[in-house]
Amino acid sequence: MAKKKDVAIVGYGETPIVLRGGRSSYDLASEVLEQILNQTGVEKSEIDGICVSETMSETSNPFWAVFLAEHLGLQTNWTQINGMGGASTAAGIIRAASAIRDGLCTTVLVVASDAQSSYPPTEQGGPRWEFQYPVGLRGPTGVFGMLMQRYEHQYGLKYEALAKLAVTQRNHGLMNPNATAKLKAPLTEKEYLDSKFVSTPLRVLDSVMVCDGANGVLVTSTENAKRLGLKKAVYPVGYGEVTNYKVDDLLADITESGFTVAGPRALAQAGMTPQDVRMFHPYDDFLIAIMLQLEQIGFCGKGEGSDFILNTDLSHKGKLPLNTGGGQISAGQPGLAGGGLNLVEAVRQMFGEAGERQVSDPRNAMVTGIGSIPYAKNWSCSNVLILEQ
Amino acid sequence: MSEAKTEPKKPVRPLPRPDIYTKTTPFWEAANEGKLLLQYCKDSGKYQWFPRAGSIHSGKRNIEWRQASGRGTVYSYTVSVAAWPGHEDRVPYICAYVELEEGVRILANLFNVKGEDVKVGMPVKLTFERLSEKFNYPAFEPA
Repeated sequence: MAKKKDVAIVGYGETPIVLRGGRSSYDLASEVLEQILNQTGVEKSEIDGICVSETMSETSNPFWAVFLAEHLGLQTNWTQINGMGGASTAAGIIRAASAIRDGLCTTVLVVASDAQSSYPPTEQGGPRWEFQYPVGLRGPTGVFGMLMQRYEHQYGLKYEALAKLAVTQRNHGLMNPNATAKLKAPLTEKEYLDSKFVSTPLRVLDSVMVCDGANGVLVTSTENAKRLGLKKAVYPVGYGEVTNYKVDDLLADITESGFTVAGPRALAQAGMTPQDVRMFHPYDDFLIAIMLQLEQIGFCGKGEGSDFILNTDLSHKGKLPLNTGGGQISAGQPGLAGGGLNLVEAVRQMFGEAGERQVSDPRNAMVTGIGSIPYAKNWSCSNVLILEQ
Repeated sequence: MSEAKTEPKKPVRPLPRPDIYTKTTPFWEAANEGKLLLQYCKDSGKYQWFPRAGSIHSGKRNIEWRQASGRGTVYSYTVSVAAWPGHEDRVPYICAYVELEEGVRILANLFNVKGEDVKVGMPVKLTFERLSEKFNYPAFEPA
């Protein structure tokens, strides 16, 4: 498929990430819209589409998307909600692009907002009441503990590589004004290695801290961006998405995920190889997820993640800058808006607005999403989005 | 009872809620007799776990419950140091994905073994933990 640059991301917004801040998802999303309008100079009336991520704090409301649009004063011709957890925002950009190409709408607010740490999440039900909760597997940390244990058995796992990821992202988070205050402290590799086990071999510092926050981008046709006189734009040029990878292969290794399909698909569409990627902004609910993505997208071979990490400068000044805003692990996870966090950072970098953590060559970026935890697998949704200037 | 007020609240372990998302009563009735049932797809000749309304192999609903041998191996495991709510008085406890002979993996606790002695690939056999009069919960122990 030929590379298209007919749809663009022309603006972004992000609230600070706050632990139990008490503001609602509506309030947080409103701040994102205001930032985008101020940044782009676009009038609210130009926005005729909205694509919203499901939240933890509002999902008990089946009308979350339309209520939010009403709250924001948006009349839309295209309204969508994505329930793909941390894969929702990247998925939303691509769905918005399709809708724009189909003429359903012209300018879309893709927004994710979640006050998960302030307002108790809804129960996800399904088989968990019978086949997980009585066993006591500790939610995502338990599932990723299982994943790490299995990876270690198959390939060996160098914990100093995970420590390096933790410290690299923390150093980036320290330069991010939006990172949550609680994580604004330097971290050493020893502190990571000494941190308490939650669900062996997974430690406290392998994990995200759930907070509140919102983020979003404005997507429009390249033609319309010109009409509006918008100067800054990045283009989604490659995308791959898989949900429920090998769902009917009950003996598939949990160390292999949908990224083995989504990564190569996105790269092929963008006409790129992993070596061409200038920045990597992977979804990081747990450190091991970053390593698995590096392998499965093709930056290195299976089982080579530890050595790749140890041998690659992943800092904002390095060969492959990694989650330059600190990622969710060091900036805080704004609930299910977490999927937009690293994405907005990629756009910020490509707009040249990342301040002291600005990378020198932000001509492209790879952003990923992970969503939902299935039974005895790894994760439900994997997606990879490649952006280009 | 006045003394109860000063004692820490005993955690309430979550009990299964049958028939909420799909019909599971046959599974729990068999568990009460010490049997582990899995769903079997008669079209594809494959088992599945966890229970569904239809076959994940064929998409059809030609499935039945069949008794599993109860033999398997540890595919992966984790020692839960921090508890899921209701399990606070059990820590540390072991959760495992057990790969059964029938070609499915099941999440279960491992008993009669210490966390440091569990090995991936270790043979295990079915046992049960009595959670209540109604619920006999499948678990595994070294074979």
